[in-house]
Amino acid sequence: MLKNLPQSVSTFSGDIDGILYFIYAIVGFFFVATEGYIVYSLVRYRRKDGVKARYETGETWREMRWIIGIVIVVTVLDFVIDSKGAGVWAKVKENFPEGDVRIKVVAQQFSWTFVYPGADGQFDTRDDLTVPRVLHVPIHSKIRLILTSKDVIHSFFLPEVRLKQDILPGRQINAWFEATRTGTFNLFCSELCGLGHTKMLGSLEVQEPADYERWLAETTKEQLE
Amino acid sequence: MGNETAATATTGRPAAVISPQFTRGIEKLGMALFIAAETMFFAGLISAYLVFRAGNPDWPPAGQPRLPVASTAFNTLILLLSAFFCHRAVGTRRNGHPKSSAYWLGLTGVFGLFFLVLQGREWIRLVQFGLTLTSSVYGALFYLIVGIHGLHVLAGVAVLFFVLKRSANGRYPADSHLAVELARTYWTFVVGLWPVLYVLVYLL
Amino acid sequence: MEGNRHQARGNSAHHSHGDEKFIWKYVFSTDHKMIAKQYLFTGLFMALVGAFTAYLMRWQLAYPNTAAPGWGVVTADKFNMLVTMHGTIMVFFVGMPVLVAALSNFVIPLQIGARDMVFPRLNMLSYWVFVASVVCLLASFFVPAGASACGWTGYPPLSASQEYTGIFWGVVLWILALALEFASFTMGGINYLATFMCARAKGLTYSRVPLATWFLVGASLAFFFSVGPLIAGAIMLLLDNVAGTGFYLPQKGGEPLLWQHLFWFFGHPEVYVVFLPGLAAVLEIIPVFSRKPIFGYRTMVWSMAVALALSYVVWAHHMFISGMDPRLAMPFSITTILISVPFAIIIFCMLASLRGGSIRLATPMLWAVGFLVTFLIGGLTGIFLGSAASNIYFHGTYFVVAHFHYTFFPAVFFGGFAAIHFWFPKMFGRMYSERLGKIHFWLTFVFFNCTFWPIFQIGSGGMIRRIADPSQYRILDQFKTLNVFVTISAFILIAGQIVFVINFFWSIFRGPAAEANPFRANTLEWSAASPPPHGNFTAAPVVYRGPYEYSLPDRAEDFVPQNEPPLAQAEGTA
Repeated sequence: MLKNLPQSVSTFSGDIDGILYFIYAIVGFFFVATEGYIVYSLVRYRRKDGVKARYETGETWREMRWIIGIVIVVTVLDFVIDSKGAGVWAKVKENFPEGDVRIKVVAQQFSWTFVYPGADGQFDTRDDLTVPRVLHVPIHSKIRLILTSKDVIHSFFLPEVRLKQDILPGRQINAWFEATRTGTFNLFCSELCGLGHTKMLGSLEVQEPADYERWLAETTKEQLE
Repeated sequence: MGNETAATATTGRPAAVISPQFTRGIEKLGMALFIAAETMFFAGLISAYLVFRAGNPDWPPAGQPRLPVASTAFNTLILLLSAFFCHRAVGTRRNGHPKSSAYWLGLTGVFGLFFLVLQGREWIRLVQFGLTLTSSVYGALFYLIVGIHGLHVLAGVAVLFFVLKRSANGRYPADSHLAVELARTYWTFVVGLWPVLYVLVYLL
Repeated sequence: MEGNRHQARGNSAHHSHGDEKFIWKYVFSTDHKMIAKQYLFTGLFMALVGAFTAYLMRWQLAYPNTAAPGWGVVTADKFNMLVTMHGTIMVFFVGMPVLVAALSNFVIPLQIGARDMVFPRLNMLSYWVFVASVVCLLASFFVPAGASACGWTGYPPLSASQEYTGIFWGVVLWILALALEFASFTMGGINYLATFMCARAKGLTYSRVPLATWFLVGASLAFFFSVGPLIAGAIMLLLDNVAGTGFYLPQKGGEPLLWQHLFWFFGHPEVYVVFLPGLAAVLEIIPVFSRKPIFGYRTMVWSMAVALALSYVVWAHHMFISGMDPRLAMPFSITTILISVPFAIIIFCMLASLRGGSIRLATPMLWAVGFLVTFLIGGLTGIFLGSAASNIYFHGTYFVVAHFHYTFFPAVFFGGFAAIHFWFPKMFGRMYSERLGKIHFWLTFVFFNCTFWPIFQIGSGGMIRRIADPSQYRILDQFKTLNVFVTISAFILIAGQIVFVINFFWSIFRGPAAEANPFRANTLEWSAASPPPHGNFTAAPVVYRGPYEYSLPDRAEDFVPQNEPPLAQAEGTA
C-alpha cells in the first residue's frame, strides 16, 4: 500500500515515512490477524447438524479477559503511535527554525507566486523579487515559508517533501522545510479552490547553492530592467 | 407455548402499548428534547460570537455605535416579568381558575409583544447610527443573535395566543393543563435565554 | 411454535385499518412502518442519483476529457459540482434516510413493542420536510450556473461568496436543503428518543432492549446534540451569500476557520449517525445467524455511550493542517486515539460472538460479515489519518477518499443491505430470493474492494482529492492503468446493484409469503405478524428476558423469544 510513496527529499520526509511504515506494520498485523480470525471462525463454526452453539454471554470478567487483554494492547500501541508521531509533528509544524531563506508564498485562484525579499532581507520593499509558479530553493538550507492567500482557502502541498499546509486568506501561516536532494519536484494545491483547482500547479526547484545564487542574481537583474 | 395464545380474543384496535407510568409525560419529554436541540443551536451562536470577540482587540470596532445598554436592561425586565405572568397562568389554572389563567396568559403575550416593539425601536435607531448587517461583523453578529432570539420570542407569542384562543374556545378540559404548561416551558426557555444573550452581546 | 406463527398471520387479516384511502395509507401515512418505507424508497432513489454522479466522475478520472456515454465531456466546473453533490447526496440523502430514518422508524417501535411512534403526526411531518429538502437539492441541478461546487464540506470563503465560484442559487439551495434536512431529522430524533424512553413494552427494561434499538437511539443522540451549532453556522453562511454579511470573509473581518470548527463539531458525530445504525443491524443479525448470545451486551452499550461522549471532542482531527494552532493537534490526536478503544471493544466483542457459534451464511449474515471485513479496513486505515504526523502527508489525498469509502460504504450499503434483507420479511411480508441475494452480495463485495483498495495505493502515490483531470499531473501518469481498473470495477459495482433491484421488487410482489419469525429470532418484532398491521401487535407484548437468549443449554429449541413467559408460567397457559 505504501510502495507508491513519492521519493523523499527533505530532512523530515524520512521521519514522516518512518511513522507511516510504523503504523503500517501495526495495522497490517491487526488486519491479517482479525480478517484471518473472521474467515477461520466462519469455517470452523459453520452450521453442522446436531451441533449446538455455545451459550456464552460475555457478561463476566472471566469471559471478557481476552477482549480486555487485546484492547489494552491496542491502547498501548495507540499511545506509542501517538508519542512517536508527536515528535515528528513538533519537528514539522511547531519548532520552526529561523530559516536561512525566507520566501513568501502567495496563493490565489489559480496560481502560485513566490516573493523573495531581495538584498535587504525585508518583504514589501522595492527590491522584492516576484517569481511565478516555480519555487527555487537552495539545497541543505532551512527554508522558511510565509503562506498567504488572496481569496479562498488553498493548500500548499509538496508531496516529495511531505509538507502540506492549508493557507487561510487574511492570515499569514508559517511552514518550513530543508531539501536534501536537487531536482524538480511537484507542487499541488490540495484544497478545492474553485473552477481551476486542478490546474493550480507549480513546481519546486531544488538547486546547489551556487546555481541558486546565480539564478537569484539573473532574475533580480531581469526584474530591475 | 407463546403468550400470544392469550391474545386470541383481541380484535380490532390493538390495546395501548405505552407504559402507563410515562403516558402523561410524553409531550413534556418531547418539548424537553426540542429545547435541548435549541440550546445546542444557541450554544453554536454564542461560541461563534466568542470566537470573534476573542479575536478582535477593539470591540466594538471603531466607528460603530455603542449598544443601548440601559433601555435594553429595561426591556430585559419586561421579558422577565412576562415569564412571571406565564408562571401565574399555570398556577391559577392548576388551582381551578381558568378565567384568571387566560388573563395572565394574555398579559404574558402582550408583554412579549411589547419587548419585540421596544427591540424594533432600538434596531431602527441603531440602523440610523450606521450599525447594519453589512457595516461590520460586529453589526452582523448583533442582528443575527438578537434577531434569532427575537424570532423565538415571536414564535413564543404566537404559541401563547394560540393556546389562549383554544382555551377560550373551551378546547381544553378543565383538568388538563398540558397545553398551558408546554407553552410555559417554551416561554421560560426563550425568556431564560435572553439575560445570557444580553450579557454576552451588550455588556461583554 | 407453529401455533404461534399461525396466530400472528391470522391476526393480520382482520386488523381495523384495512379500508383506508390510498392517499392516507401510502402518502400521508402516520404509520411508522409506512414512513420507514417512504424513507427507504426515497433514500434508494437518491442512491441512484449518487451512483450516477460517481459514474461520471470515475469516467473522467479514467478517460479524461472524453465524452462519458449518456452525458458528454465532464468539464472542470461540472466535475466540482459532481464531487460536491456526490458527497452531499451519499451522506445526507442516502445514509441518513436509509439508515437513520428508515431503520429507526421501522425497528425501534417494533423492537420495543410499541404500536407506533409516540408522535405519529410529527413523524409524518418529518418525512415531508425531508421530501422538501430532496426537492431543494435536486432543483439545484437545474438553476442558472448549476449546483454547488464547493465540496460537500462547503468550506468558505469559496462557498460564502458568488465571486469565487460564480454560483449563487446552487449554493443557496444547497444550504437550504441541508437546513430542511436537519429540521426533518431533529423532528425524527425527538420521536425516536421519546418513543424509546416512553413506549417500551412492560418488562422491557434498559438492560433488555435489543442492541439494534440501543445503537439506533445512540445515532439519534449523536445527531441531536451536534446539529445545533452547524445550523447556526449554516445560517451565517446563508447570510454571507444573500445578505452581504462577512462572517466567513476575511476582507470583511470574517473568520473562515469558524465554519470548519462548526462543521466538524457536527461532522464527527455525524460519522457515527451513519455508522451506528449500520452497526445496529449487524449486531442484531450476528446472534440470530450464529445462534449464540451476542458477546458482552452491557460492554457494547457502555462502549457506545463512551464513544458518543468522545465523539464531541475529536472534531479537530479533520483540521490538523487547516491552519489552526498546531499545538491543538496533540490533544485532539489523543482523544481520537481514545475513541478507537470503545470501537475496538465493540469489534472484538462481535468477533467473539462468532466463536463457538453455529453459523449459517444466509444473505443477511453475508452482509453482516461483509460489513465486519470491510469496515475493519476503514477503521485501521483511520489510524494513518488520526495520527497528526502521518496526516501531514495523507490529508487531502485519495488515501482519505479510500478510507472514508471503506467506512461509509460498509455502514450505508453493507449495513443497509444487511438490514433490508434481514427485516425484508417483516417489512413486506414476503421472502427475498436467497440466490439473487447471494449473487448481489458477492458482486458488491468483490467489486467494492476492487474499486477502493487500489485507491489507497493511488492516494499514497500522491493523487489529491477533487481534481478534475489527473492527466495534468506528471506524478500520476504511473496510475493510468490503475485508474482505469478502478473505474471499470466501479461500473460493475454499480451495475451489480441491478440484481438487488430485481430481487427487491420481484420479492415485494412475487416472493413467497413470509412467516412471522422466519429466522427464529428472539426480539419482539418477530412476534408481530409479517407484515405487522397498523398498530403492530394484537396484544401488548410483555417481556420476560433479554434479547439474545440463543442456544440455552437446557432447552431443545435454540431460541427463546423475549415475550415467551418463563417456563413454569407457560405450562399453565399452554
